[in-house]
Amino acid sequence: MNKKRRMFVRMVLASLLRRRSRMIIALLAIVVGATILSGLGMIYYDVPRQMSAQFRSYGANIIFVPREGAEMSIEEINKGIGVFPSDKLEGYTPYRYENTKLNNLPVTLAGTEFSSVLRTSPYWHISGELPAGNGGCLVGKKLAEKFGLSAGDTISPLNSFEITDDIDISSIPESEIYEDPQTGEKFCDHSLDLKISGILETGGSEEDYIYVTLEDITDLMLNERGFDIVEVSVAASAKELKDYLDEINKNAVSLTAKPVKRVTASESTVLSKLESLVLIVTLVVLALTMICVATTMTAVITERRREIGLRKALGALDSSIVLEFLSEGLVLGAAGGIVGSILGYLFADIVSMNVFSSAITFRPLLLPVTIIASVIVTGLACLIPIRSAVDVDPALVLKGE
Amino acid sequence: MFFRMIAGAFRRQWKKMLMIALTVALGASIATAMLNVMLGVGDKINEELKAYGSNITVVPSSEAVLSELYEVEDGENKEEYLSEETLNEFLTIFWANNIADFAPVLDTSVTVDDTEVRLVGTWFGHHLEFVKKGTTYQRDTGIVNLRSWWDVTDGVWLDEARLDGDRYAMAGRQLAEELDLKVGDKLIVKGEKGSEELELVGIFESGDEEENCIFTTLSVAQRLSGAQGKYKKAEVSAITSPDDELAEKAAKNPELLSGDEYDLWYCTAYVSSICFQLQEAIPEASARAVRQIADSEGKILEKTELLMALITVMSLIGATLGISNLVTSSVMERAAELALMKAVGAKNGQITRLVMAEIILTSIAGAAAGYFMGYAFAQVIGQTVFSSAIEMSGMVAFLVTVLVIAVTLVGSIPAIRMILRLRPSEVLHGGH
Repeated sequence: MNKKRRMFVRMVLASLLRRRSRMIIALLAIVVGATILSGLGMIYYDVPRQMSAQFRSYGANIIFVPREGAEMSIEEINKGIGVFPSDKLEGYTPYRYENTKLNNLPVTLAGTEFSSVLRTSPYWHISGELPAGNGGCLVGKKLAEKFGLSAGDTISPLNSFEITDDIDISSIPESEIYEDPQTGEKFCDHSLDLKISGILETGGSEEDYIYVTLEDITDLMLNERGFDIVEVSVAASAKELKDYLDEINKNAVSLTAKPVKRVTASESTVLSKLESLVLIVTLVVLALTMICVATTMTAVITERRREIGLRKALGALDSSIVLEFLSEGLVLGAAGGIVGSILGYLFADIVSMNVFSSAITFRPLLLPVTIIASVIVTGLACLIPIRSAVDVDPALVLKGE
Repeated sequence: MFFRMIAGAFRRQWKKMLMIALTVALGASIATAMLNVMLGVGDKINEELKAYGSNITVVPSSEAVLSELYEVEDGENKEEYLSEETLNEFLTIFWANNIADFAPVLDTSVTVDDTEVRLVGTWFGHHLEFVKKGTTYQRDTGIVNLRSWWDVTDGVWLDEARLDGDRYAMAGRQLAEELDLKVGDKLIVKGEKGSEELELVGIFESGDEEENCIFTTLSVAQRLSGAQGKYKKAEVSAITSPDDELAEKAAKNPELLSGDEYDLWYCTAYVSSICFQLQEAIPEASARAVRQIADSEGKILEKTELLMALITVMSLIGATLGISNLVTSSVMERAAELALMKAVGAKNGQITRLVMAEIILTSIAGAAAGYFMGYAFAQVIGQTVFSSAIEMSGMVAFLVTVLVIAVTLVGSIPAIRMILRLRPSEVLHGGH
């Protein structure tokens, strides 16, 4: 029994080695099929994640706004931000808006964090540069055109207010305070000199604002208060986003987290199309490739009809012939599957690096799937020609008909 | 004799030839389908990206703002308008066919039940038709496709074609909750220059500040604000080509381009050239790209096209390897036959020509079948994913033919040469 098994292994191996050129052809066909299966499979699984990161170029997809009558507390903002996994969080930017005057015309000033603003608004076009720190500002293009401003100019937005008893005026310079001689009401004209470091172009409402640092807006307004809005950009699927939002809103008392529907709804529409595109392309290419592998295998086996006939004539059992040929096919299928899944991974990685400039996630599950699929396809492809060869009278096969 | 031999080969070995033709057909169909999908995917994804809404806004030009700056009194800005006739020009520009949708917007402050509310007048399924220089232009357009992310939770979308008379409105969910409005309610809306009774046909969720607004037809807003025949800005959704170096250069100043560059830029659907053409057609307006949408569109498109291109390359490599592999194997299989020919005195050139002719004829037949299979697969992909047909490019047919012939040659010539190099006696003896 042991001897018989050794002989079987030797026959399979010898046949693979002796008939080198044919076997290389068969192996190559399987490797190509397996490479495409594992490569496309890996790309398909990674596309949503990678593409979702690309869609962050649309900017923030979540906003935190204060609940009615409340002020957003810093702890709650940090806690809210903490809900998003750090590898999915692109960035978050707080904003505080105030109405001030420039050349006696009302303008809106927005205090923000310049270090993170381009992460939540990557579409900002700045001619010039972002302010390096306090004392600098960005001016929206529309506003700049209206006032004839350009980068390098200095502006002095004015905060004009009536001094009431509850305002602490100890820090205000004397020169900024004046009194209405008729009513006796005291007023303050507090202003701040800001150097324009760049002009902001977005094509949207941002072009009507002046952007300054949070410290500067506190200085100008002479008070500190909560943010009006926090923009958050998170690379996550619609379902994940909903879970995060639910978790934040369940615990927060001072703020509400809301999706930016224009961004999230449109993203799921487009992303689902992209996913189904890659899926169906993968299916079509895979199906065709597998048939191609099968025809090549069939051709390689059909060629060996004479050999089958000879063995049968020498008294080999049908079942042993089928078993031997099938084993050969399965060894080839497994070997091709292993090589193919490695090549497929490399190929998917090249695609990912080129398109998304990030490595592909290795899916260990695809390895066994690829190997099993290769073995099954090879097995099926071998079985049909072997069966037909075995069923025929050896004399006919040997005669070459 | 040559032809008789070929014909004989096909008769005797039709099974093997069929196998080659089948493999070539499979490879060619992969190539055809993938190349067509790759070439068409940009347009399809571009259409899908229209979900994000307008990528161009048209506003009164800022020069007008500057000249009126000195007429300003009490810190109040004078409102700027564009006249409604200028909307016709949107259909007359060079890239008019790339303008998927557009709608004018006129917003004004009104009071409903003593509450101050922002009211937005725009087009809902508006039918625009006019004659200019003997050509009739017409288009149905409006805000519906520019607000794809709206959920109309109660009632229906306002539709000018279906509901006649200017007395309908939609309200945002937040406003509806605040004022306790329901579909079918009649609102008395008081504006600066009059008041109107509007019937609420729908309540929408938009997730932004528009949820606090009332949306109605343009003419209602015009009557309420006294700005007859005017609008404040227009939102335009245009199908554009992603920006490249030329577009960036032109964005700085179109006048710096050379003549050829200018023509190329003008005749490419860049967002900047469409803006430029809109400004040309409407001198009093300024057309700007909405960077958030226009820039991102370019990025997503570029990534998608690159992704598809690489998947296509991968499939093409697979298909060509598959074909050349089988061709090589079919030649090797005929070693004995070729050796016999040589043994009876055929020249190497004659044998090569004969075998090549057989294989190339088979391949061409396979490629033709594969092209039509690939066409079908491309349409299956287009219909399933985008519910629209994928345009077939003539270039693809040419490319696939060249590819198949090249692959067949590469697959067969080395094998034939290898066999012919052997001594016939060795091959016939079976010692290879």
